[in-house]
Amino acid sequence: MSVFPLPVALFLSALVSLPVAAADMPRPPAEASPKVLNVEIPVPETTLDPAAIQDLYSAQMASVIFEGLLGYDYLARPAKLVPLLADGMPEISDGGKQWLVHLRHGVRFAPDEALGNKPREVHASDVVFTLERLLDPEVHSPFSFLLEGKIVGLDAAARRAADQHAHFNYQAPVAGLQVIDDYTLRIQLNAPDVNFGHALAQPNLGIVAPEVVRHYGDQIGGHPVGTGPYRLVRWVRGSALSFEANPVYRKRLWNFDPGTDPEARRIASRMQGHAIPAVPRVEVRVIAEQQSALLAFRKGELDILYLQNKLAPVALDGRGALKPDLRKLGVQHEVTTEPEILFNYLNVEDPLVGGMAPERIALRRAILMAQDDEAFIRVIRKGQAVHLPYPVPAGVVGHDPAYRSLLEYDPAAANALLDAFGYRPGADGFRRTPQGQPFAVRYWRQSEGETREFEELYKRGLDQIHVHFEGHPVPFPDLLKAERACQVTTRLGAWIADYPDGDDFMQLFYGPNTHANNLACFQNAEWDAMYRKSVTLVPGPERDALYHRMARMLETLGVAKVSHTRLHHMLLQPKVVGFRKSMVSAVAEWPFVDLQ
Amino acid sequence: MNANPLANPAPQHPVPQHPAPQAAPARGLWQIAVRRLLRNRVGLASAAVVAAFLLLILTTASGLLARDWDQQYAVSFAPPTAIAGNPQDDDAVGQGGTGSQIDPRAPVDLYGVVDPLADVMARIHGLSAPQAAAVAPEPTSVSGVVDPIGDALARAKAVPKSAVTQQRAVSLTLGADKWGRSVALKVVKGAETSVLVGLAAAAVATLIGTLLGALAGYCGGWVDATLDWLYGVFTAIPYLLLVFAIAAVLQQKGVTTIVLILGLTGWTGVYRLIRAEYLKHKAREYVQAARAIGASHLRRMFVHILPNVSHVVLVQLSQQVVGFIKAEVILSFLGFGVPVDVVSWGSMLNETPNELILGKWWQLAAAAVMMAVLVTAFAMLTDALRDALDPRLK
Repeated sequence: MSVFPLPVALFLSALVSLPVAAADMPRPPAEASPKVLNVEIPVPETTLDPAAIQDLYSAQMASVIFEGLLGYDYLARPAKLVPLLADGMPEISDGGKQWLVHLRHGVRFAPDEALGNKPREVHASDVVFTLERLLDPEVHSPFSFLLEGKIVGLDAAARRAADQHAHFNYQAPVAGLQVIDDYTLRIQLNAPDVNFGHALAQPNLGIVAPEVVRHYGDQIGGHPVGTGPYRLVRWVRGSALSFEANPVYRKRLWNFDPGTDPEARRIASRMQGHAIPAVPRVEVRVIAEQQSALLAFRKGELDILYLQNKLAPVALDGRGALKPDLRKLGVQHEVTTEPEILFNYLNVEDPLVGGMAPERIALRRAILMAQDDEAFIRVIRKGQAVHLPYPVPAGVVGHDPAYRSLLEYDPAAANALLDAFGYRPGADGFRRTPQGQPFAVRYWRQSEGETREFEELYKRGLDQIHVHFEGHPVPFPDLLKAERACQVTTRLGAWIADYPDGDDFMQLFYGPNTHANNLACFQNAEWDAMYRKSVTLVPGPERDALYHRMARMLETLGVAKVSHTRLHHMLLQPKVVGFRKSMVSAVAEWPFVDLQ
Repeated sequence: MNANPLANPAPQHPVPQHPAPQAAPARGLWQIAVRRLLRNRVGLASAAVVAAFLLLILTTASGLLARDWDQQYAVSFAPPTAIAGNPQDDDAVGQGGTGSQIDPRAPVDLYGVVDPLADVMARIHGLSAPQAAAVAPEPTSVSGVVDPIGDALARAKAVPKSAVTQQRAVSLTLGADKWGRSVALKVVKGAETSVLVGLAAAAVATLIGTLLGALAGYCGGWVDATLDWLYGVFTAIPYLLLVFAIAAVLQQKGVTTIVLILGLTGWTGVYRLIRAEYLKHKAREYVQAARAIGASHLRRMFVHILPNVSHVVLVQLSQQVVGFIKAEVILSFLGFGVPVDVVSWGSMLNETPNELILGKWWQLAAAAVMMAVLVTAFAMLTDALRDALDPRLK
């Protein structure tokens, strides 16, 4: 359903199509025309200041303009950290507390009036400025958590600025950020953290130049100057962005690790040695209506289209293959899974279902066993999801495809379990507590959007085990507030990777994260001890074994059941080569793509 | 509406232009109205349709029909019987399933974690499903109460999953929705909610509108000014915003909430009309006469004037019913509607955008046809009532 009445929609679509028409006009005949990659984003970008970015699509834009110290290998699965502006991976010492970073020589910021229209080399002081800026109270970075509490002295400096209502003092030295020379930086962490590299790889920590930030003041969001493969040349806010290859971008060639995946190997054999970026110009259009985007793609106006699951049945047949009309056009179709989990959780502090008494554990497990994940995928997701019993999704470090859940859909066993613990049905057919009290399980969901179906399925599950259901839709902000206050009895939680490591998912159940990300309010000394140990381990078999125990314990105690992860469909025009869905959604793929 | 010359070959009863306060002429008005209504064939047919709907609602409300509308009768999106057997439907998205046949009873590695329910689960898993239900008498059970029907109930429930799947129909009279529920039952049960909401909300709105309109029109002065101000406030706010505001204040979902939302927002039209009628009538001779014989204000307002403006009230009431049936659909479509354990035409239509993408049109068709029939019939009945009741059209 369109939000706008027809005339407005026509006007808007005219706005959207204008820039494209303008871009088309001066284009010389076919052979001579430079390659242009046309892509869309469904939600308008907000800002291009890396530190201030909150939304995914702005982050994608920033990811091609800026570069961080580290990044992710384009092909490697699960995700693998690689150096970008750093010269080699950081040297980690002191048990993970000290990170020594060498900077690549000769990397230059794109020329800009703030830099005297000349390229300027990146120095270690720029990195320090960038890291400090993420915690600057005046920037209000939504991603400040990446560094909060991590670097020695940095939080104190930020607190000082906030307490005195003063500007952050970038001149004052921070103990944990030592510039050794122009190309060397030593970062001292408060505690060992082997995952600190993932923080450095986020687009929000793309390296910025202090002069540029000062020059543009609060207009910095519209004047991105970075070291990345592209630079912004035109910006019609909320409608279109044009990027051109950065003329001073360092010489960078395709050299990624395809691993054993045949598809990745095919891409690699074709692309290795290619220049990055291969396409000199990228046009990004904001197309809010997915139907319009699909039409534009069919007409060849878009080269890459993220096909939202809602519309998947329009382009794909029942077996998930392209429909004949698209196949005839030679369209390529890439399916990956999102680095996310959707899980039903039960609040361990809830007065009705919470607690660790055996009958409460049994109730929670029975409720979770009554949830039919297969029906969720088939009916609600229309087949556009895969079952995932493990808290770490595919593509994320620590995933186990062979893991099997203890709580698979089994209403008969769930009924037997409730019978065994004295939840007997009353005269109305619904179960009573072992103490004989009638009860209802209150299912929370956000009242906006298409979550009514979640509630319907949950109710069908509870109906099967004869437990009274009570739907409780509330506005999303209220839901978040209630969740933080541990008032939500049960809900379908969702978590998408901030960074592609299992730790980002396991922290969802860590006791001290209660009233934050730990939605089930699960606090268990044994589990928390395992988590604390896992943080100190480099990813590997030892940590995996720990993760397996932690995942199993969530099931035996009836805390949560991981349900599924959605499919991510990309449609590509036949001429697009070298595309592989980025493991980190905030990193755009365009610099690595070529057009034939 | 203009006077219809065809509707006028009535015997020329001398109906007084302004009925005197005696009962007899008022009865005469009603008699004429009934006679006029009976002569209107379209009106009678509409009344019959509306009556049929009301009968249907009585049967569903009493539980004789469609009590189990929430049950799964067929496979997901089973087509209507008339078009069933179309093989290309079989591989449509949403039909085939993901093919993940996970055996929930297969043993899993506990990775050294102690399962607090291990022995109970082992006993359940060790038995076949129907037997599993009989694990009930169990030492960990703290309740000493033995439910006499507990075991039987449990055994009945513990049917193996596959057996249930086999019983599901592949086609239904009007098709099935995504959960395999019968669209025919839903549309019948949905009529109950929609019509009850329409009637109740119209009653609330008309009651408020009539009371306030009578007060404002009859009293005049500061009462009129205050109520006009209230009317102004309500009509100045865009309708949907007002609906959202009231929904936010009521803070819960349900049929009562919808009735209140619609009733509290819909009274303004009635108010305006009734106020104007009272302004007109309070100066008429029969009201003056009533005053002369010592009738109180309330008696003049509701015993003398009200019967003479009742045609306006009745017509407004029936128009509101039509409007509110449609409004319930809109509210449900916007997500302010009924909770998931209640079905209405609005909630059915709310499900259809996603179904249409999959090419499943039958739920939309069923709900839309039912609603169109009822709304049209009610609207035509309203027209007939207006023709019959307007004292100016003899």
